[in-house]
Amino acid sequence: MKKRLLFILFVSLTFMLSFTPGLLAEEGVTDTEIHIGAWGPQTGPGAAWGAVPRGTRDYFKWINANGGINGRKLVFHMFDDGYNPAKTKAGVKELQEGTGIFAWAGGVGTSPGLAVKDYLAKKSIPWVGPATGSMEFVNPPQKTLFAVYPLYEGEAKALVNYAIETMGKKRIAIAYQNDGYGKNGLRGALASLKSHGMEAVAQVPFEAKDSDLKPHIMKLKQAKPDMVLVWLTPSQAAKVVGISRAMKFNPQFMSVSTCSDFIFMNYITKGAWEGVITGTFGEVPDSKLPLMAKYKEEIFDKYAAKEERWGIFYYAGILFVEPMIEGLKNAGSDLTREKFITAMENIKGFKGIGPEVNYTPYKKGDIYSRQGTSETFLVQCLKGGKTKRLTGLMDTK
Amino acid sequence: MIDFIQMIVSGVATGSTYALMGLAMVIIYKTSEVPNFAQGEMALVTSYFAMMLLTTMNMSVYLAFFLSFVFAAILGAFLEFAVLRRAKEPNVLGMIVITIGIEMIILGFVSWKFGAEQKTMPFPIGPYDGFIIYDIYISKLDVLTLVSALFFMIVLFLFFKFSKLGLAMKATQQNSVAAQIVGIRTNRIMMMTWGISSLVGATAGLLISPTIMHPFMMWDPMLKGFAAAVMGGMTSLPGAVIAAYMLGIIENLFGGYISIEFKTVVAFVIIVLVLCIKPSGLFARHYIKKV
Amino acid sequence: MDMKRDYFEDVQLFTSPVVVFWFAFLIGSLYLLPFFVSNYYIYVANYIAINIIVATGLNLLVGYTGQISLGHAGFFAIGAYGTTVLMVKAGLPFLLALPGAALIAACFGFLLGLPALRLEGPYLAIATLGFGLTITQVIGRIELFGGRDGIHVPDINIGSWIIDTDKEFYFLLITLTIFLLWFMRNLIKTRMGRAFIAIRDADIAAETMGVNIVFYKTLAFAISAFYAGIAGGMYAFVLKFIEPEIFTLLMSILFLAMVVVGGLGSMMGSIAGATLLCWLDLKLRNILDIPYVGEWLKNLSENWFSLTGVSNIQYIIFGSIMVGIMLFEPLGLYGIWIRTKKYWRTWPF
Repeated sequence: MKKRLLFILFVSLTFMLSFTPGLLAEEGVTDTEIHIGAWGPQTGPGAAWGAVPRGTRDYFKWINANGGINGRKLVFHMFDDGYNPAKTKAGVKELQEGTGIFAWAGGVGTSPGLAVKDYLAKKSIPWVGPATGSMEFVNPPQKTLFAVYPLYEGEAKALVNYAIETMGKKRIAIAYQNDGYGKNGLRGALASLKSHGMEAVAQVPFEAKDSDLKPHIMKLKQAKPDMVLVWLTPSQAAKVVGISRAMKFNPQFMSVSTCSDFIFMNYITKGAWEGVITGTFGEVPDSKLPLMAKYKEEIFDKYAAKEERWGIFYYAGILFVEPMIEGLKNAGSDLTREKFITAMENIKGFKGIGPEVNYTPYKKGDIYSRQGTSETFLVQCLKGGKTKRLTGLMDTK
Repeated sequence: MIDFIQMIVSGVATGSTYALMGLAMVIIYKTSEVPNFAQGEMALVTSYFAMMLLTTMNMSVYLAFFLSFVFAAILGAFLEFAVLRRAKEPNVLGMIVITIGIEMIILGFVSWKFGAEQKTMPFPIGPYDGFIIYDIYISKLDVLTLVSALFFMIVLFLFFKFSKLGLAMKATQQNSVAAQIVGIRTNRIMMMTWGISSLVGATAGLLISPTIMHPFMMWDPMLKGFAAAVMGGMTSLPGAVIAAYMLGIIENLFGGYISIEFKTVVAFVIIVLVLCIKPSGLFARHYIKKV
Repeated sequence: MDMKRDYFEDVQLFTSPVVVFWFAFLIGSLYLLPFFVSNYYIYVANYIAINIIVATGLNLLVGYTGQISLGHAGFFAIGAYGTTVLMVKAGLPFLLALPGAALIAACFGFLLGLPALRLEGPYLAIATLGFGLTITQVIGRIELFGGRDGIHVPDINIGSWIIDTDKEFYFLLITLTIFLLWFMRNLIKTRMGRAFIAIRDADIAAETMGVNIVFYKTLAFAISAFYAGIAGGMYAFVLKFIEPEIFTLLMSILFLAMVVVGGLGSMMGSIAGATLLCWLDLKLRNILDIPYVGEWLKNLSENWFSLTGVSNIQYIIFGSIMVGIMLFEPLGLYGIWIRTKKYWRTWPF
């Protein structure tokens, strides 16, 4: 009885594990194709971020429709990892070792990204534009990893500086999500306060799964701040601002670029988002920039699924990989990873729909040799989700 | 002092949502001894159904809510009829696994159909409408939740105590064979219980939705409601409600005065402590098991 | 054929030389596997092996002792964090850190076992669930553990052997897994195992027969937590970076599902359940690439559902497996296997 059981187990194991696909000569590049990979949660609590790789996918479709890159078409492999690092790693390994990926684009989330960072670095596989503003990806910098997303710390600094210097706020409270995302913002804000010789009047951590936020708001209210920095996910930020306003607790609210999609924020707060100032690194959804309008018309209207929304996550998927496309174009028709990395390093003053992107040749310990962007500007939400630009581009280095 | 009162008020408001979920779970557990982990998702799908009626079909709120309640009741009855009744050799663990399975299926369908993006439901009472009395903020939506929780508690309490159907439900739980012998159609009773429970739970979901809806919005209320039901003794309707309000108030006070970081989990610590002292919860009679 | 004539036959590991042969063949092929398959499949095998360890431990608690745990992700987290912190902060070598962390997990298991003495059914479910949620909160609070920012995990080194490839990790893990499975199998076949089963079937009757319930129930929790701790420790090295949010309630649910789907009270079942669910968990993301089915799903999504949410079908499949197994074969995959075997043995009658 036992032997048969074991035998069947063995046969099934061997069967399952015995596919060994062959490798390409130049990994991920053929005469007609370039293979690019990405991940993003399409399921689970983080699924709202899933629009990022979908945006990238549609952008690549558009590039292919316009002739591709140096005669090659982009083949985009995206997979769902449900924001589970173990699954991210499995998917990356499967694609890298099975299909063979030339370079990775985007990639949502801090802990999924960190799970594969060392693996990709060890194999010297280029990775452009992780969809997270965490310091972990550029500190220390890594030769093959090019970050596009402006650092959360810099953005928080810019917001707090603006509040203190321009608006003359004296009592500043910080509401942050209790994880890497929130902590990065908290650090930036505290650094800025410290440089002004001030301290936060309250620091209130929020749990991502919490649904009852009134105790947190009470905490904020007790500190009597005149500015509250809300470093949370869109749904929690919406609740905090909405309930605070209802409680007649009306300090100046400031928030993170994740919540800078004013039309959407205005909709889910039913109008309470009016007056909130956020940092932003890209354009706003109703931007008049010709390139944005072009993207909306030619990419979103043409390729996106009908339930897709022209929101910040979607076009961030385009924004994060624009430098990559620039690098691929400049690397010439004889594409190798080395040439691609050199081409990326030579990107200076590149401007797509995001902030200006600059890279320099790799230098140990120089964060900004791999952190391509450092500019941010502040915007304020007006009635009906309209946007008012408050500042010019600010360098946050 | 104002802060203290405000915390109590907020606690009562939060507790009302827990109470509705707790009541829904108690109703099912009372008759069929199933700890229903799918309760939250049953409310979720009803909320999204109402949302669909409101936005894509442009129905009036009253009609949409009425239809949603009908939908909730049918959904509950259907799940009992199609899934729970078919279980062979049911035991508590098996039931937990089945209901978690149902939960995942519903969650999958809702996310598939409606996507993961946050939404907000149009509702005559805005989520941020409220009164301010002596500096204390009371949200209108919370008042409505409180009223519904108390309404359901009283109606269900009377229903189980005095109506024929309610008594039949009690009889089914205590001894289903004996109940069958005296002429109670236990199957039908079970179906009705699930329908009623689903309706009560759906109320909680519908009252959360005007603020923010997303596919995972019911996890926290469901777990807390379950915790309240367990603390109240799993079979006692007033027990579940009282425990729910206790949890809501304790959470708010704990968050306000002790630690905001552990606010989410303090409910579970309290549960464990309470259960150590009274293993069957606060308001249930402890039955000594026979061999 | 399956008749046992004396006690020795019941407890022995191998019933015949044929079994010894096949068993040796299986183990041999497991060790040779990395030389034939690509790196990705070794990673998958590692992932599955870790889950097999947890499922085996949880099966002792759920399947053999009849308790419920919805908090095993908590023990898993203790193992992962314990190993990492003992190595990084206390400077212990891996060979001491891993069992050390598992012992810490076992202590927590023992503590959780104490209230469990008086609880059952939904009461126990909510208590364990609360434990799982609380423990990650506590870990996130401790700055020494990296807090909410998470902590990086070093490479394993045993003496001068530094394990930094999946292949080497596989050899270590598979040895550990075989040892733990062998230990569990022996445990179940001895006096202790019978005590656990007696508690599951009728705890009061067992007590009157002289089984020390306090000891055995807490022991079941402790051993089960120990296994989860070991698995968690190894999982940390798979991820290379851990943060509290990784160890969610969904993870606990998945562990429980593995045991139940595989078959309660059967080790083969736990192995099969863990393998099947992990495999699906990793593979279902490619559901749209399946020929015909993928096309059909795409059309269905476009017409009735949404294309952006199509990946959520994996929840539906998972849920359906859990419900289906409980409805049609409460003994799980193991039950299906037994029925098939019986059917073929008497075929065509």
